[in-house]
Amino acid sequence: MFEVGRICMKTAGREAGRFCVIIGKDKEKGFVVVTGPKSVTKVRRRRCNLTHLEPTPFKIDIKENATDEEILEIFEKENIYEKLHIERISEIRKERHEKREEKIEKKEEKVAEIKEEIEEEKERKVKEHKEEKPKKMKKKEEGKTKHSAKKGEKKEKTKEK
Amino acid sequence: MPRRSERSRSLRKIKVNTPGGRRKIHLERKKNAPAKCAICKKPLAGRKKGRDSDIAKLSKTQKRPERPFGGFLCPSCMRTEIKKRLLKSFQ
Repeated sequence: MFEVGRICMKTAGREAGRFCVIIGKDKEKGFVVVTGPKSVTKVRRRRCNLTHLEPTPFKIDIKENATDEEILEIFEKENIYEKLHIERISEIRKERHEKREEKIEKKEEKVAEIKEEIEEEKERKVKEHKEEKPKKMKKKEEGKTKHSAKKGEKKEKTKEK
Repeated sequence: MPRRSERSRSLRKIKVNTPGGRRKIHLERKKNAPAKCAICKKPLAGRKKGRDSDIAKLSKTQKRPERPFGGFLCPSCMRTEIKKRLLKSFQ
């Protein structure tokens, strides 16, 4: 039942409820070596107790101690993703990553819009300020002229002394 | 006459040795009952007892075991549940 290439489901521990493929026998009796592969079902390449495995009717043709890449090629050839209704973890992660990037882009666009608005408001305020300023400046200039005139007189007086 | 709160049994009593050498009785709220399996009603391991306010301070890994249905089903019930679902998917 538990020969090389048999697809099983793990029924214990953190990887319970996930599919895996048997690669070979372990040194100890009652144990086998198993992979998900990790990029598909999140099950690591590790030894596993036979009592923690539930066999399925599916089997693939692989050599003993086959690499994850070889197993992935056979999975795609025999359409095992559709047969077992497996969603690849690597693709789910890609989708999540794209969604996150979209969110970040939207945020950046919003921030840029707000910054532009703030700058426009600043420019407007500066323009209004400039238009208002000349009236005030005239008054000030008049005052200054009087003040400076007085000062000038004082200076002249000091020089005379 | 004792205080009103001391007359009820809603608080549990703890004996404490004070630094002055006396032995005093402190009153504390009771802990929650242990969590149980939803199918077989066995008490679950891996979930700490205590008041809700104390458990809320713990980390996520201290609150429940890290496996599917962790903290809700016991491991043996979880195993049978997974096998059932596997059989259903092939029918």
